[in-house]
Amino acid sequence: MSDTPQTVSITINGVSHDVAAGQRLITAAESVGEYIPRFCHHDKLEPVGKCRMCLVEVEGPRGKALVPSCTLPVTDGMVVDSESAVVKKAQEGVLEFLLINHPLDCPICDKGGECPLQDQTMSWGPGESRFIEEKRTFPKPINVSDIVLLDRERCVLCDRCVRVADDIAGDSLLTFIDRGNHVQIQTFPDDPFVSYFSGNTVQLCPVGALTSVDYRFKARPWDLEHTPSVSLVDTVHSTADVQTSRGKIIRVYGIENDAVNEGWLSDKDRFTFSAVHSEDRVTVPLVRGDDGFEPTSWSAALDMVADKLGSFRGDEVGAIGGANNTNEEAFVLGKFMRSVVGSAHVDAQIGDGVDAHFAAALTPRATISDLDEAASILVWGPDIKETHPVLYLRVRKAVRNGATLVVASPAGTGLDGIASHVIRYRAGSGADVLRKFSAGEAGHADARSVLDSGPVVGLVGRSSLAEDPRLAESVAAFARSLPDARLLTLLGRANVYGALDMGLAPTLLPGRVSATDEAGVRRLEDAWGPMPEHAGRSTLDMFAAVTSGDMKALILVGSDPVRDCPDPALAAAALDASDFVLAIDTFVTDSSAKADIILPAAAWGEVDGTVTNLEGRVQRMRPSIQPIGQSRPLNVVLDDISVRMGVDLMAAKVEDISTQIASVAPAYEGITFDHLTFVAGVEGAVVPLAGATQPLGFIPVEVSVPVVTDRMTLHLAKALYDDGVWNRNAATIADLPRPATARIHPRDAAILAVADGSEVVIEGSFTLAVAIDPDVAEGSIVVPFNQVATKGLAATASVRVDAKREDR
Amino acid sequence: MTERILTARMDAHPSDSNTIARYEDTGGYQALRKALTSMAPQEVIDEVKSSNMRGRGGAGFPTGVKWGFLADASPRYLVVNCDESEPGTFNDRQLTERDPHQLLEGIIVSSYALGVDHAFVYIRGEYPKAARRLMAAVKEAESAGYLGDDILGSGFSLTVTLHLGGGAYICGEETALLNSLEGRRGEPRLKPPFPAIEGLYAKPTIVNNVESISNIPWITMNGGAAYAAIGPERSAGTKMMSISGHVKRPGNHEIVMGMTWRDFIYDLGGGIRDDKELKCWIPGGASSPWFVPSVHLDTPLTIDDVAANGSMIGAGAVVVMDETTNVVAAAHSIVRFFAHESCGQCTPCREGTSWLQDILERILSGKGRPQDLDLMLDVSDNISPGLTWPPAMTTICPLGPSATAPVASIMRWFRPEVEAMIGEKAAHV
Amino acid sequence: MSNPIAHWSPVGQERAKEVLGQYPEKRSAVMPLLYLASIEHAFVSDEAMREVAELTGITPAQVQSVASFYSMFKRESVGRYLVSVCTSISCHLLGGDQVFGAVEDASGVQHGATGDDGTFTVEHVECIGACGGAPAVQVNYELVEGVTPDKAKALIAWLKDTAPEVVLADEMQHLFGGQRSFDWGPTEAEGAVGPVPAFGPFGSAKEGR
Repeated sequence: MSDTPQTVSITINGVSHDVAAGQRLITAAESVGEYIPRFCHHDKLEPVGKCRMCLVEVEGPRGKALVPSCTLPVTDGMVVDSESAVVKKAQEGVLEFLLINHPLDCPICDKGGECPLQDQTMSWGPGESRFIEEKRTFPKPINVSDIVLLDRERCVLCDRCVRVADDIAGDSLLTFIDRGNHVQIQTFPDDPFVSYFSGNTVQLCPVGALTSVDYRFKARPWDLEHTPSVSLVDTVHSTADVQTSRGKIIRVYGIENDAVNEGWLSDKDRFTFSAVHSEDRVTVPLVRGDDGFEPTSWSAALDMVADKLGSFRGDEVGAIGGANNTNEEAFVLGKFMRSVVGSAHVDAQIGDGVDAHFAAALTPRATISDLDEAASILVWGPDIKETHPVLYLRVRKAVRNGATLVVASPAGTGLDGIASHVIRYRAGSGADVLRKFSAGEAGHADARSVLDSGPVVGLVGRSSLAEDPRLAESVAAFARSLPDARLLTLLGRANVYGALDMGLAPTLLPGRVSATDEAGVRRLEDAWGPMPEHAGRSTLDMFAAVTSGDMKALILVGSDPVRDCPDPALAAAALDASDFVLAIDTFVTDSSAKADIILPAAAWGEVDGTVTNLEGRVQRMRPSIQPIGQSRPLNVVLDDISVRMGVDLMAAKVEDISTQIASVAPAYEGITFDHLTFVAGVEGAVVPLAGATQPLGFIPVEVSVPVVTDRMTLHLAKALYDDGVWNRNAATIADLPRPATARIHPRDAAILAVADGSEVVIEGSFTLAVAIDPDVAEGSIVVPFNQVATKGLAATASVRVDAKREDR
Repeated sequence: MTERILTARMDAHPSDSNTIARYEDTGGYQALRKALTSMAPQEVIDEVKSSNMRGRGGAGFPTGVKWGFLADASPRYLVVNCDESEPGTFNDRQLTERDPHQLLEGIIVSSYALGVDHAFVYIRGEYPKAARRLMAAVKEAESAGYLGDDILGSGFSLTVTLHLGGGAYICGEETALLNSLEGRRGEPRLKPPFPAIEGLYAKPTIVNNVESISNIPWITMNGGAAYAAIGPERSAGTKMMSISGHVKRPGNHEIVMGMTWRDFIYDLGGGIRDDKELKCWIPGGASSPWFVPSVHLDTPLTIDDVAANGSMIGAGAVVVMDETTNVVAAAHSIVRFFAHESCGQCTPCREGTSWLQDILERILSGKGRPQDLDLMLDVSDNISPGLTWPPAMTTICPLGPSATAPVASIMRWFRPEVEAMIGEKAAHV
Repeated sequence: MSNPIAHWSPVGQERAKEVLGQYPEKRSAVMPLLYLASIEHAFVSDEAMREVAELTGITPAQVQSVASFYSMFKRESVGRYLVSVCTSISCHLLGGDQVFGAVEDASGVQHGATGDDGTFTVEHVECIGACGGAPAVQVNYELVEGVTPDKAKALIAWLKDTAPEVVLADEMQHLFGGQRSFDWGPTEAEGAVGPVPAFGPFGSAKEGR
């Protein structure tokens, strides 16, 4: 509630308009159809008033004056002239000034065709050049990073890239240097613009000064087709424009969805697409022969799969994965397992997550935009700069706007620099620290009192794969007790929240229904027929059951547990021990390599459907290209298999599945394609919609978590860039994983008698260079998950660490 | 009648006017004593308000009124602008080098009045002697108990930090100065917010010029009314004027405003060197439009009369040019100055000032074209629409429009001379 | 934390500490630290900027952005004597351009350059606030006013021949100066020992005496 008026009345060119109060004139004018040209202005950046293109005349006490409309807040009664002769001359003058030193190399410029400078020259600019002096020249494009090129001659010094790097991303590596007519954008020598958000500078550059290496000379803007969709590299689901030309994805741009990403993308969001076109994609069904995999036809492969799956008892078969699929695909996978195969062993989490009820049905749940209103924020979980980079930007924004931040982690995180308090705890001792922190003891009184200011948003999750998942529940239970608190869990895997909502968990049925909820089971049986009687098993339990002989067959759906779960050895052993392994996947991975049959799956960019992000927001993910080779969407594959097994899932068309979901998944009542397209627009919709039900409301409680105090406790953390199969196959970012190191506190380095750069051996077999880091909790060792050098390392609570000695 | 507020001491005691002994001996630090022992801070502010002193840095905004805008939040800062860099001015240098205690006492009294416990003096880097003399004064004042903790037992404490500039004229603009003092590029900020609301470190800040602050001890001692009684009503007090160029007696003069330009140039300045004819003069630093004898010699030297004639007194810098002056070369020197000193953040200034410099250079080198005259005027118009006074701006700050002043001036008063340099007629040596 | 300026001179380190303590926010110390660093490194080298970045908690790119804005932070090696000749309007009117030409001739060094023997860096500069004593010259920012082309040549020759350790304004003014902007007051024994403003707390001042 505020006393300030919601709207003000302004007059533009003689016409009166009511516009929202509190905005800048340039934005207000645009909202009523009066577009004022601009270069430096951007809605998501602080105004700088530098380019002077947006000058208009505003009446003041001393008559009309030229003012930049990008810096001027609207006030009631403001009278604006944006078309007067004075304004027109000023704008033409500015444009001429911008052009006198511009190379005018539009025919070879990537921006040509979508360039505001080019466009505005057509609309506002003078006819021919009066500038006969020598133009300012710079050596042609320089690499400011592995991803971004800078052409200083084209630059109009609008400050957008610097503001993105500095204010938004906090990576102050791109700056202005020199003065006057010599000003230019530059990096520091040997200090490239390394940022997880560098691509945003390319997207926001109003000219062709910043370009990305992968797009350079690839296409002309007018040849590109645009598909509004979402990024699926993490659970934020940034809204994105997937741009294609002749059946290929050429680039991905952020779309301004204020509820989710406000237009920003991480570089992983932006540049992962090239993996879709990787030559290593599985494009035909593969069957294991005597000499490895042999291509076969779809019908032969499907016959074999149906035959094999039909040969097991339902509870001998399990499905692992589904988090990289759409909600519709995930729904069909669950239905296929439960009603065709007859198994409750389904799990979209691969042992790296949290309790499925906690993740899917935590209450009270926050939305991403709740961060904007938060007075204080608690982040206790993974380093979200690495795992949820666009959410990291939102937290930065909240702090910029005055929120107070408390961060808890066993090692330094990207947010530490802007946190008011950092709680550093030894990996494995989180429960103990949480007890002390929540009581304001042991020096935590200050940090604890910060959280007495609500609204509080708590972001909770597992800080690393080695951390007990129940700690996050205890943290959530504490956070829930804070004033006006709302919470988000921090699972990381693509559409894992959608998969859980579709029932891809041993303890969940579609629509946030507990698998033990009798009414829910009965309602589903009415639609699907009888449910399996047995309790479902989690991924790690399935592996154990296979190795002990209790289960016999596994279906891997876009999952690579041999690389990507806390116990890689167990995963590998289980896959080896299985009588039958079916992989439905996009690549031959360390896991699918152990399959008997690999069916080529259509991927992001190729499939149609919806996805659900960490706040429970459902968005439409549209296809922009045809599936590569013979690859097919999961629902089509499962529909074909089930027909061969004597059941028709009616799952060949996504619209049909969408209707089924809306009818059997309570929390998804009302969520159809039509709703998303026509009602929710670009924002998507958070489920459950008003009026719909969510049977399961999970209220976190403190749970007992053992404290580990062994010599070296393990913090096995995910980094943004890793050796995951999609990262590895996306050329632009394939080389970006940082070299894996073992980070330890200086005192532990002294105890181990190792120096920075010398090597340690973990668990007797993983040799890593030591990085001494005072931001690591004493007694812990920080190792990156899923990198080449840590392939196969199990996420145990503690590890043996030895200094590497030269063999004699 | 008191006509020497600022310079009497240094003129009487050239060998030691900068020392605390001489300063105390000639009435120094009495204003501080008076303020701390018998005046509430608001009373000091009231005296400054009633003095009607207009800021001596160039814009001429009343100092007391500016003080009244200071927001009620703490901490607050006083920043003294000793970044005197306008071509033609050198009077703050003299005040700082020759009477640093007068400046320092002004700082201490002003800080007391404004509720400031940390004041900064931003001294241009090219003034090391001024910095040294002021630093010595700070040390002396600290030893004498005029500066530091619990000054004269009043409970009022003050730290003064001297900050050396790095060679950038634009830092004389108060918000650019604040950015520079914060360790940033000296780029002017968008206003609002004004420094009195959000200044140094986003805290309420008063930025005053050296000459303004140097007047504070006198005003405190003698009262605002006494100051207001000196000189014309809206140009109260004395003003330090620098005169340079083709005059017989260049230097600084503390004057009571209201005399004519003729008196100023011919009496105080001693007339034109070698008794040549006066061609024109710049009345208020390189940014001000030029005056010519046929029109302005008998115009009174007051802030308002100069403004009414389309120029300004600014920081009080008069540059005199005699009949032998190549006005195109003179204008070029000034335009080059502004192009060199443009911060470069906004388009019209960054691009326009260099373009004007290029055109003038071309004309000087004999490669001018007839259309260059109107082109220069139009480029100027795109920086300062209408070329009116006070200047309209397409820029963030007045630096860009300043570069148009010499161009507009030579085109207004000496167009035939400029035309004579064009094309075949070019005869520049 | 390791000390990024452990290799500085003891007095340089002491001053850096002093300077950092003078401001409510560390970043404010960037400019004085750049002066100190350019005494330690002979100019504002990349290494110097990295050190200042570490001391003030900003990135080297941000330090570079600041350093490159100001004319007095030299990012290339500077000679023992930095000779700056004013050519702004008052000096221009009274022969500053000719004085500059004389300095170039006598030193054999062009604008913005440093001679091979490292004795001189020569530059024409914008207004140095000595308009009443035009044309004006600074040597390591110490002033001489009322300089003629001949006196300028003599000044260069004197610097070359006597190689003064401390550059004193009064001494140069006495030998090579003329008209002054105003009476400078008492003679000063303090001067510059390098191409950085001679200002005790930040600069070089009286050392070497």
